[in-house]
Amino acid sequence: MMRIACLLMTNESAAQTTLLQVALAHSPRVEDAGGGSVYLDAAGLQSLFGDDATLAARLRDAAAAAGLAVRVGIAGSRIGALAAARFGSGATVVEPGGDAAMLATAPLALLTLSEALATRLSRWGLRTLGELTALPTAGLFERAGAEGVQAQRLARGEDPRPLASWRPEPAYEESVECAWGLETLEPVVERLGELAARLCARLGARGLAADGFEWICRLAGGRAHEGALTPAVPLTEAAAVTGLLRLALEARPPRGIVEGLTLRARPTRAAPAQESLTDPSRPSPRFLAATMNRLVALVGSDRIGAPALLDSHRPDAVGLGAYASPSPLRGEGRARGSMVRGRGPGNAPVLALRRLRPPAPAAVTLASGRPVAMRSSRLAGRIVAGVGPWRSSGEWWTPQPWLQDEWDVELADGTLCRLAHDGSAWHIAGIYD
Amino acid sequence: MGVPIESSPPPGWEREGIDSLLGMFPPGRLSEIVGPRSSGASSLLLALIARITTSGRGEGRGQVAFVDGMDALDAASTAAAGADLSALLWVRCGGRLRVALSAADLLARCPGFALVVLDLDELGPVPASAYIRLQRAVEGTSTILIVRSERHREGTPASLVLATRRLAPQWMGLRPLTRLAGLRSEISIARSRLHSLSQLGRGQGEGFQGEGLQREGLQREGSWTLDWTLSQ
Repeated sequence: MMRIACLLMTNESAAQTTLLQVALAHSPRVEDAGGGSVYLDAAGLQSLFGDDATLAARLRDAAAAAGLAVRVGIAGSRIGALAAARFGSGATVVEPGGDAAMLATAPLALLTLSEALATRLSRWGLRTLGELTALPTAGLFERAGAEGVQAQRLARGEDPRPLASWRPEPAYEESVECAWGLETLEPVVERLGELAARLCARLGARGLAADGFEWICRLAGGRAHEGALTPAVPLTEAAAVTGLLRLALEARPPRGIVEGLTLRARPTRAAPAQESLTDPSRPSPRFLAATMNRLVALVGSDRIGAPALLDSHRPDAVGLGAYASPSPLRGEGRARGSMVRGRGPGNAPVLALRRLRPPAPAAVTLASGRPVAMRSSRLAGRIVAGVGPWRSSGEWWTPQPWLQDEWDVELADGTLCRLAHDGSAWHIAGIYD
Repeated sequence: MGVPIESSPPPGWEREGIDSLLGMFPPGRLSEIVGPRSSGASSLLLALIARITTSGRGEGRGQVAFVDGMDALDAASTAAAGADLSALLWVRCGGRLRVALSAADLLARCPGFALVVLDLDELGPVPASAYIRLQRAVEGTSTILIVRSERHREGTPASLVLATRRLAPQWMGLRPLTRLAGLRSEISIARSRLHSLSQLGRGQGEGFQGEGLQREGLQREGSWTLDWTLSQ
């Protein structure tokens, strides 16, 4: 016999996880219905908690102890339990077989219906579930189809669908208390490495990887040293994690004697990967993660990544995206090509422009509106040939509009460069090379 | 049984010269590209980056690390050259020589990159010991390591040194000129420590003195004349 209990929060639904934990403490099968409501399988709990009324009161008290005000309903179906919780006295039990009678006066809005069916039933003048169950099933099927018949069954308390079981995400956290205080970094890293090995083994057993780690060093005197790191790629290898932890702790070591350690991992689904026999080799995630962290420490996180062209005509509109280790199974991408396929005319090799960042200010001499000489800290000389101006502007609708006249010029020493005038000053945008 | 379309060169492709030139760089060795401003050295680098990042299949494309000593890489030119920007790791060093050398050393020791470029441009002088350290970092790996600088430094352990020389800019129009079309430059082998010239290009299925080379790009033994086209 199916018995379902519904816990319905009367206030905010922000504590849904807490409500789920309360339900899970009483039954192994719990469904997260969202919006501050939770269903749990109440069948077979009599030997543990007594009859349904006792269970309902116990659930309400347990939720109150967790700081949640809930209404509890126990019935033979989900919708019956929901109606009992919503319209009952706070801890309501519907006797077995009594769902249909209890639901008869419940409003039609208790059902989750499609907009079309809800409109149709409303036009028919139906307001309660009892009125819906009173309709002849064959006629309802002819007019409202299978959805109408399904709604009628639910209105009678006939809900054969089993609970969609919810399981809490396991906490990937390991701790160790040190028998004596650790004063140097090496034993701290060694202990963290042991914790990382345990975490990686647990993650690996579930086919997961970790894309973030947090550690807490409990120091003598009650203080704590906390930190976090995000590897460039999700990791499953303890050695790689230990290497990153070592780098992070070397950059910011704990100031004091370490008496205990905790390491947490943020799990993520590890993409399966199979190496190709014919494709070029790729950086190992383990080595790449360590190298990226060293490079970030060397140049700064804002100066490393994959170049990404921005959706703008502004000159030198480029950003830095995250450089990720490619996975061979992550999409097929583009076709094989062993030759250079530039977008230049006729696939000819493309002339590169070397950007000057920031653009070098220049003093330019004009004759008849054309530059004939220039002088700057990087380049100087007479201009022997030049074409332009190539005028462009954009983003005038934003607080940072831009306007630029560009000239391609050849200096007397043969240097080809791009001069730009932004309306007020000249600068060298780049050198062709 | 038909020929797979993706293995054929695109229509109009007749650049066997540059394709063989790009296949010369030996893996596991240090190579240099040297040349003054506007000599085509950076264009040659971009062509090589495009070649490597478009090799392979899907996410298995060759990965390139670009250590940019002067923050000079133009992403638009790189994309126009045909490179896959997502397969390019760009490290901007902001004109700091020691940082650039350290970054290149780290990346050369990270196995898996098909190409590591250290673009020094005007930065220098670079101690010879730094070149030796870089050379040792890639020994025994399949990584191509290239240092691009303005001039060659004597005493470096580079296995291959290519020198670029500006010949003439290509303009469109006659008095007045209407547009910069490109640049003609000459690339020559300044030094090779490989056993023989025929060793160059091995692995790409073409010898250094292949027929295609002589027909298309090679004017005299060990030098190429190439036209780089300005992409609009």
